[in-house]
Formats: sequence, C-alpha cells, structure tokens
Amino acid sequence: MARVEAGKTRPISVPGALWGPVRSNGIEMLALVGGVTLWEMLGWLLAMPWLPPFSKVMEALIQFVQSGVILANVVVSLQGLAIGFSISLVVGLVVGALMGRYRRVEKALDIYIYALFISPSLIFAPIFFAIFGLSDAVRIAVIVVYSLFVIIINTATAIRTVDPALVEMACSFGANERQIFQRILLPASLPLVFAGIRLGMGRAVKGMINGEMFIAMVGLGALAQRYGSQFEASKAFAIAMVILIIALVCNWIVQTVENNLTQWVD
Amino acid sequence: MIQVRGLSKEFAGRDGTDTGIVALGSLDFDVRDNEFLTVIGPSGCGKTTLLRIVAGLIPYDRGEVSINGVPVTGPGPDRAVVFQNFALMPWADVLTNVSFGLEIRGMPKAECEATAMGLVKLVGLEGFERRLPKELSGGMQQRVGLARALAVNPRILLMDEPFGSLDEQTRRLLQEQLLRIWEQERKTVIFITHSMEEAVLLGDRVMLMTPRPGRVKEIINVSLKRPRGQETEKSATFIEIKEYLWENLRSMQVA
Amino acid sequence: MTVQESKKERKGALSADGLRIVVFALFAGSWQFFAARMENMLIPTFTEMVGGFVQLVVISGRIWEPLYISNQALVLGYLFSIVVAIPLGLAAGRVRWIDKLLNPYIGVLLAIPVAPLIPIVITALGLGLTSRVVIVFLFAFIFITVNTRAGVRNVDPGLIEMAKSFGANERQIWRRIVIPGAVPGIFVGLRIGLARAIAGMVIVELLLVASGLGRLLLEFAGRLQADFVFATVLVVILEALLLLNAMRLVEQRVAPWAHDISVE
Repeated sequence: MARVEAGKTRPISVPGALWGPVRSNGIEMLALVGGVTLWEMLGWLLAMPWLPPFSKVMEALIQFVQSGVILANVVVSLQGLAIGFSISLVVGLVVGALMGRYRRVEKALDIYIYALFISPSLIFAPIFFAIFGLSDAVRIAVIVVYSLFVIIINTATAIRTVDPALVEMACSFGANERQIFQRILLPASLPLVFAGIRLGMGRAVKGMINGEMFIAMVGLGALAQRYGSQFEASKAFAIAMVILIIALVCNWIVQTVENNLTQWVD
Repeated sequence: MIQVRGLSKEFAGRDGTDTGIVALGSLDFDVRDNEFLTVIGPSGCGKTTLLRIVAGLIPYDRGEVSINGVPVTGPGPDRAVVFQNFALMPWADVLTNVSFGLEIRGMPKAECEATAMGLVKLVGLEGFERRLPKELSGGMQQRVGLARALAVNPRILLMDEPFGSLDEQTRRLLQEQLLRIWEQERKTVIFITHSMEEAVLLGDRVMLMTPRPGRVKEIINVSLKRPRGQETEKSATFIEIKEYLWENLRSMQVA
Repeated sequence: MTVQESKKERKGALSADGLRIVVFALFAGSWQFFAARMENMLIPTFTEMVGGFVQLVVISGRIWEPLYISNQALVLGYLFSIVVAIPLGLAAGRVRWIDKLLNPYIGVLLAIPVAPLIPIVITALGLGLTSRVVIVFLFAFIFITVNTRAGVRNVDPGLIEMAKSFGANERQIWRRIVIPGAVPGIFVGLRIGLARAIAGMVIVELLLVASGLGRLLLEFAGRLQADFVFATVLVVILEALLLLNAMRLVEQRVAPWAHDISVE
C-alpha cells in the first residue's frame, strides 16, 4: 500500500507566488490609482478653486510636515483627544459593565443612553459653551459626548451576551460573583468591548474636529476653518487628510491591542 | 447516597403568567455509592433539569434532594458537571481550563497546574496542554471537560449528554475511554443520554423517565459484567435490554 | 449562584418604568437645584428651559419657520443620498468588480470627517440651500451604501443557487431572492443614514450659522436668552428622537426578522 506523505506540496515558481495576490487585488489597486489620476486630471482641467489637483494637496501636506507649521495645532488637537477619549473610556466601560451585569441599572438607564446615542452629538456644543465658556473643556466635552455612548452600549451588550453556559459552568464549580466577573465575564466580553472602543475611537476623532471647528479657535479645527474661509482649498484638503491619517493611526493602535488580546477568537 | 423524594420543578410561563411548564412531576429514586446510573427518556422529559437540580444550579419547587442526608442547596465540592457543549473558556489553554475548578477553590497556581497536568495525561491529551479550544476537535474538547471535572476530585460526576454533540466514531472512542477511567476509581455517576446503546453499555442501572412532566417510569438493572467493551454490545443481555428500552421509549413518544 | 439567591432575584423589584422615572426626576431635580444656585445667565434652570420650550413651540411658535428651513436641507439631502446610495450598494453587493472598484474608497469615506470639507463645498456652491443639501448628502450616503451592500452580501448564497437550479434569470433572482433578502440591511442603512443626515444638518447649522436653526441659536445666545437656547437644543433632540423612532417602527413593520448587521 502506497504511503501518502503529508506535508509535501508542489513547488511554486517565485514569480507565480508574487502575481497571485496582485491579480486578485488588481482591480482594487486599479481603482485607487484610477481615482487619484482622475482627481489629478480634473483638478488641472477644471481649474476650479475648490478642486485642486491631487498633487497640489500632497504638496501642501508635505509642506505642513516639513515646516512643522501645523505641529502646534496637531499637538493641541491630540491633547484634547487624549483627555476626552480617556474620560469616555473609563466612564463608558464602568457604566457599560454595570448595565450589562445588573438588570436594574440597565432598565433604569437604557432609554436615556440610547436617546443620547442617536441624538446628533454636536447639538450639545452650545450647551457646553454656555456651561464652560471659551475653554478647553468645551472641546473635551464634545469629544466625550461623541464617543461615550457607543462604548457604553457595546460594553453592556458584551457583558450581557456572554455565553450563559460558561457562567453556569463556573457556578457549578462554586465560583462566587467576583470570580465569575473576573474569570468569565471580563475575558468573554473582550471582543465586543473592543469593537465598542474602536467605534468610540472613530467617533472621538470626529468629535475632536467638529468641536474644534465649532469653537474655531485652536487646533486643527481652527486651521480647517481658516483655510476654508481663505479659499486655500489645497490646504483645507490637506488638513482633512491629516485628520484622516490621525483616525487611521488611532484605529490601527486599537486594532493591534485588540488582536493581541483576542487571539483566541474563532 | 443520593436520595430524591417527591421532587418536582415548574418553570414559570413567559410574562409571569400562570401557564408554566411542569418539567418534573414527582420523582423518587436513589443513587447508590459508586454506581454508574444512566438516565434516558423522551425529549423534553426533564433529564437535564434533573441533573442541574442535583448539581445545585437551579432550585426545585417541592420534594427533597439530599446527598448522604444533607439537602442540596447549591453547588458543592462533592459534585462536578460535564457539559454537553463542553463549556470551555475559549480564551484559555487546555491546562488553564482543566485547572479552573481548582483555581476557583483557591489552590495556588503551581499546584493547580501540576494536578491538572496529571489529568491531561489521564485523558490522553499530553502535548496539547498549551493549545486553545479552537485548535481541538470536539472529542478532544470534551476530554478537556472531563479532565476539568475529575480535577476537583468530586465524589459525584454529573454528565449531561456529554457525547451528544460528537459524531458516532468519536463517541464510541470516548465511551471506551470513560469506562477505562471509571474502572480505576469508581465515582458515583449520573449520566444523561439519548442513546439506548450508550445507556446500557455504560450503566449499572438505567433509569427510564416518562415524558413531561418527567417521572421515573422504571429503573432497569444492567447485569452485564465489567469491565465492559466492544464485546459487551454483542451479548444477548445487552440486546435484550436495549430492545426493551426502545419499546418503552417508542410507546412514550409524543407523535 | 445558590438556590436561595436565585429565589431572591425572582421577586420583582421596582418596575422598569418606575426606575426610569426616578432617574429622570433625579436628573431634572439636580439640574434645577444647581442652576438656581449658580445664577449663571447662560444656564437656565430646568423649569426655565421647559418654559422656553413651551413658548417657542406653542405660544409664539417662533421655532417652526427656522425648523422648516433647516429641515429642507435634511429632507432633500437625505432623499438625494438614498437615490444614489441604494443602487450603488446593491450593485456593489452583487457585482464583484464594482465591489472591488469601490472597496479601497469605502474605508476612507467612512472614516473621513466631513466637517473640514464644508468650507470647500461653500467655496464651490455658495451659502445657499444647495451647499447644505450637498453636505447632508456627504454625511449620509456612504453609510447607506455600505449597509445596503452588507444586506445584499448577507443573502444566503444557497438560496441564489437554489433559484438558479430552477432556471431563474438574473432579473428574477434580483426580484425574488436578492432584494427581499437585502431589505433588512437596507433598512438598517436607512436608519443609520437618517441619523447621519440629521447630524449633518445640525453641523451645517452650527458651523455655518445658516439660515435656520443656526441663526436662531446665535440670536438667542447673543441676547443672553439662555432658556431659548436650551429649548432650541431640546427641540432638535426631540426631532431626532421622533424621526429615528418612526424609522425604527417602519423597519419593524417591513422587516421584523432583521437583526443589526449594522456598520456604523
């Protein structure tokens, strides 16, 4: 009887290995390149002040980076983001955990949290302005109101939807409340909690820029308003790109932490 | 050792209405020390509910459930459960899963792992102790579940259709392995199953339950010699008891 | 959990509604207390805000015209984005090469904040209704597209295979399998898109001080009429809650079997 040797595969030619992924992503890359080219051409052809060619936007972006002119603004923006998001994270995880674990807390708060979640968040800016005046607190409060509720809702759902079989298993071995929370609820809820944190992060970045544009005095928001009103479209687009990059970097950070902590997910 | 007298359990209807489900009628039976009792009955007869009551996981409405005279009020160190869908913590490796019961009871980690390792070897999973559940087959996962239950050295093992979600081949292998392990140290076992072959092969006695509300229809003695194995299934006694079970179950089936 | 503990939990406590009322009362009460003590001209008490609300909505009715003006942008922008986004989403869900064409842009479009682009839109289209409509469109359309696409992708390929085995052509597959199957996802997209459109309308009003609610807020703030400022905010929140709950009811009537595969 012939023995089949496991593990032996046909040798693939190196060029073949390279072309495989390129071919399957070919259309996507084409779309990206095509879009950029289109933008570039339209920018030159139409010569509208509000649609600079892609290259001009890149120029403005590189100039920003080289001259460090926007560095101060970026720092100010990121500081606000850090403070605001930290508040959302702490409050969101705690409130969400309480709502997920205790039915009474959930019943008491759920309609309010949901109402605040679906309300257009920037509408609270005038209220914060009334309370805090012209201070950093307004920006930070806007970031909090943008990101807090999605974290609460996701955390609550995460804890509430932990596989009840696992909780029962822990009970069967005599685990007390604290042990169940620490050893079962916490690790089991991580995937969904992280989903909420990622969404909250994206919302926080939007809150950062919207709040700053409302106040229009500091940070990237102020720059966006200024360049926009001065008809400096390339710079305005470039600012949008900077914010986009910030959003992508933040998302990548959260995603990396998440991947490391949830390797066990199917 | 385990005494059940007049046990009944009702589940409240939805929205708190009065139309509840009477899961268990009035159960009376004993489980002797070191006996392997298999429980079989039509779907919905309350076998799983009964097991969870003995495990102390859910309360009961009327009657008495006691172990050596002490009434059951909650989970305890004398009992351990093996679950139908394994209930393994997906984020923890095999060793951590097996030592779970020990860690809950406060054993220091190093000691837990040492004890757990012994059981990992016993169920034949040596070499897999650092793997995650998602890397294991169904049969291997259930062996982890079994090891975990044995790790806390319970006097009573409660098994809720433990091989129910496995394919037949894996099931047969695990039955053999369970019998071998049980021969070494004969714990008291209550084993719930849907399979008549399994009930007769494993049990010293088979408890046949009625449809809902579940009651004890009959307890059948399985006078087959131990240790049992593949050969046992060919014996006349085995076939006779199996057929008897099926006739009863068939007539009890709700159409 | 022991047998005794679970018995305790079964006894009902304060009802859900009771708890909610208590929470609301605590909130309103502490607001009233602190606002009264602070005597800040810019922060009305709870009762002052309610009074202002009644004044604006019922008595003088001052809120309605600016509300109507602002909502024009909402309605037109939202409808415009539906008309563009749903066909696009359907196409992306069903036709592989369109999906691949769109894919690299979806992530960017979802993440990019629209607010910094507002000044650019103004430069192109001026300060009128058109810009406001375009901005609302930009806020909403990608979310409707993405959720519509997800709805289509979620259609069980087994069902499509089944239809083909009975000889169904592309049009029939669309009409009988894909579109009914995608309805839940589409409605989720419509709901999220509506929330986004409302957010867009609000941002336009606040950042541009456009002709409707934004101007009203500025006027009230300038005259230190804090009760009216807060009341206007309340009106906007209530409108959002009303519209979105109405949307949810429609969704439940049309597609009760839907569950949130939402992409937000």
